[in-house]
Amino acid sequence: MLELLNYPFMQRALIAGVLLGSLLALMGIFVVLRRMSFMSDGIAHASLSGVAAGLLLGANPLLTAIGFAAVFAIIIALLERRTKLSSDAIIGLVFTSGMALGIVLLSFSAGYRPELTSYLFGDILSLHWNELALMAVLGVTIAIFILARYRQLALFILNQETAYVHGVHIELFRILLYVGVAVAVVLGMKLLGIILVSALLIIPVTTAKLLANSFRVLMMLSVLVADIAVIAGLFISAAFDLPPGATIILCGMALFILAALGRKIVFKGLM
Amino acid sequence: MKALSVKNLNVAFGRNVVLEDISFELDSGVIAAVIGPNGSGKSTLFRAILGLIPYAGEIKIFGDPIKAALPRIGYMPQHFDFDRTMPITVSEFLSFTAPRLRKPKAETICGDVQVDTLKHKLIGELSGGQLQRVMIAQALYKNPDLLLLDEPSSGIDIEGAKAFYELIEHLNTKHKVTVLLISHEVNFVHRFADQIICLNRKLICDGAPAEVLNRETLNKLYGSRMNLHLH
Repeated sequence: MLELLNYPFMQRALIAGVLLGSLLALMGIFVVLRRMSFMSDGIAHASLSGVAAGLLLGANPLLTAIGFAAVFAIIIALLERRTKLSSDAIIGLVFTSGMALGIVLLSFSAGYRPELTSYLFGDILSLHWNELALMAVLGVTIAIFILARYRQLALFILNQETAYVHGVHIELFRILLYVGVAVAVVLGMKLLGIILVSALLIIPVTTAKLLANSFRVLMMLSVLVADIAVIAGLFISAAFDLPPGATIILCGMALFILAALGRKIVFKGLM
Repeated sequence: MKALSVKNLNVAFGRNVVLEDISFELDSGVIAAVIGPNGSGKSTLFRAILGLIPYAGEIKIFGDPIKAALPRIGYMPQHFDFDRTMPITVSEFLSFTAPRLRKPKAETICGDVQVDTLKHKLIGELSGGQLQRVMIAQALYKNPDLLLLDEPSSGIDIEGAKAFYELIEHLNTKHKVTVLLISHEVNFVHRFADQIICLNRKLICDGAPAEVLNRETLNKLYGSRMNLHLH
């Protein structure tokens, strides 16, 4: 199986997978603990309009999707702050209108677009070096921000009033977090697709929460779970000719079940 | 210099006026208590002083606007709502609030408020009393000049409340921290506070306990059911 590593497409897929898995796992901590799962899912679906705009204009769909997703994230953050609409309703509005715009834009594009399928369901094996470079630059930038500011981010998701009193700029952090999630989700689309990308935000941190006894351990375990799922998923999918994105998610779920059973056995043993 | 100066403060949520024309001042180094019945606007007053809600009027802290003075304020909220499943230890939570605080100082604070034995516990697993002590510690971690405590001893028994007020008195005399606290325990604040501010949407009284804590004021605040028995 290790001979797969000789193929450049597999090398690119592994580098991108580990990078995106780590990024989505770190972002997922704040998404899950702040109960923003619907928001990340909404952004992923709404960014179809960005993909469609890129395909229509002949631009890189990944770049246009990032731009659209960042704008949607800022719109959600501002509407949450400045209107009395519930967060769910705002995300629902952005989610559906973004997808609708994408479908309308795609209707202008004649003929079958095979690239579209890769954004809907993910196609990490078709990744080009220039796309990998873009993922590396943006992914590492967001990861550095998270690692440098994880204390403030943790306070922000724990209790906003307390975070504010301790000098956290709530509005700025809300926008930065939303934009960070939006960009991470769009980058993850190439790995898992619009439909499944939220899974890597949710599964690693949910698994790590079962085992973590501190916030720092939660961060490390989340990244570890995501990377194991990505590497195992990529090798299994290549060996058995399965879709990589879906296989990665099933590997993540297997780790979650193992962690849940392991925790149950340990607690039973202690009682 | 005045530690806190509130002038003509008005707070309304829509048409509901919660605070009306409140003015008072605190001298540096005093312990002041805000008393009043439920719904009298005590917590709203604190939220305005912290700049958490919009208000009309003027609030100055050590002569500065709120934003500039925020690093000098320690705050313990009445309710600390958070996701109890979040795995974050007491030690992490406290260090996240003040990453630059030196270890010996942090250890002294934890010892003073008796959270040193809780450091490795997850905050979601703490009892109500333990969480209160952690919240006092996070307020003190800022090394504040002004400490705002919103019902800090609620849910603690009489002995616990007594010990708590003694700790506040110790911080006030030893570290010269100005303290403004909300309390329902009129008997305790009578003993420990230098200044009482009585609130029932309007300012009912403002002065030394011996001057303002009388039957007439208490009747105005709580009705005739309240009696003053000193502990």
